[in-house]
Amino acid sequence: MAVAADPVVLRHRDLEKIANVALKVGRVLMECGARVSVVREGMRLAAKGLGANVVGERVGYASLTLTVGAGEETITRMIDVGPHGVNYRLDVAVRRYATQLARDGGAPQEVNETIDSLTRETPRYPLWMVAPATGLACAAFGRLLGVDGPAFLPILVAGGVGQWIRAKLHARRTNPCLIAAVIAFIAGAIGGFGARAAGSGSAETALIASTLLLVPGVPATNAQTDIMEGFPTVGSARAVSVAMIMVFATIGIWGAEAVLGMLP
Amino acid sequence: MTLLTAQVMLDVLHQGAFGALAAWGFGVLFNFDGRSLIWCSALGALALGIRTFALAGGWSLEAASFAAALAAGAVVALTSPQRGEGVDVVALAGCIPMVPGAFFGKAILGLFAVTAPAPAHPQEMAIFAIVAMTRVILTLGAIGAGLAIPTQMTRHRGF
Repeated sequence: MAVAADPVVLRHRDLEKIANVALKVGRVLMECGARVSVVREGMRLAAKGLGANVVGERVGYASLTLTVGAGEETITRMIDVGPHGVNYRLDVAVRRYATQLARDGGAPQEVNETIDSLTRETPRYPLWMVAPATGLACAAFGRLLGVDGPAFLPILVAGGVGQWIRAKLHARRTNPCLIAAVIAFIAGAIGGFGARAAGSGSAETALIASTLLLVPGVPATNAQTDIMEGFPTVGSARAVSVAMIMVFATIGIWGAEAVLGMLP
Repeated sequence: MTLLTAQVMLDVLHQGAFGALAAWGFGVLFNFDGRSLIWCSALGALALGIRTFALAGGWSLEAASFAAALAAGAVVALTSPQRGEGVDVVALAGCIPMVPGAFFGKAILGLFAVTAPAPAHPQEMAIFAIVAMTRVILTLGAIGAGLAIPTQMTRHRGF
């Protein structure tokens, strides 16, 4: 005699799939540099589109937890969050997809595949373009800080080399704090030495400007916004990680200054 | 108005141009699409131009940064219905050139110098480091508040 499937267990399996997919949406948004309110909204829209309500969520710096429900039944699931970065185009693509999902609905498997496909196929600039652009940003930053004309090109080169090496180290999953120290040392030394060789009168500022690609501006402002919007735990965690990155970057700057004989 | 001297206008143009360039570079790093790159460059120019103008008027760096971020945030909040998701990030990227990373480096280096075995002028160095750190915290706070206020007032959820 066949045993009838328990409808409660089946419903729980559906809810589990919905929770996992909604958490995946939240994870991608978090890893792309979105603030907590956006991550929560993304998860809520995804769950809604899949036919469940969000009963509660917890957004942490390194993990997300979500409870979804339908009627009397609820289920809670958790997911790890990888390294935080900034990827605007993927962030926008996922936000747009979550909005569309909430409006038109969908199935968990299909949503799962779409998120994977967005993560894989959303275009990124090649490193040969990102590195010089980052160098240019550092050089422009240098001008904003008052470096003279001869220091511009050395900072551009130093920032570009720094970004190139940073991307390679990031791909090898090197610790972000270690990356900050290494890149600050290399970029700072190249920028400071180059500026001095070019006859610049602002080699010390050029050294610091060459390392400004490391300044975590997005997490720093997100930290404050998160706290303002009522999420002090993640906001504080972001602020502490920003401070740690900057401390390690400063160690690299200190090393570069020592090598170039620029320490006060 | 005495504030509108040729030198001030040149400074505003200089800072605005390099602010746009810096914002563009960071926009590429953050993987902005072409249209958003134009927007974030324009916001970078606007923010740095306003900050320079305010500094020339005798404002503190913190107050000038707040006004600049507020203007960038307001432009985005007022035009966001036409430009869709993620516009809050565009305003933020436009303000990245105002983030006082160099001050933070100077503050930490100042603290390193104070803790050296035999510092030459420890009190002066300590005050320098404290002032630099205070400016980092206040300027970052000013930028964050300036960006957040228009978004919160328009209740834009980022979607």
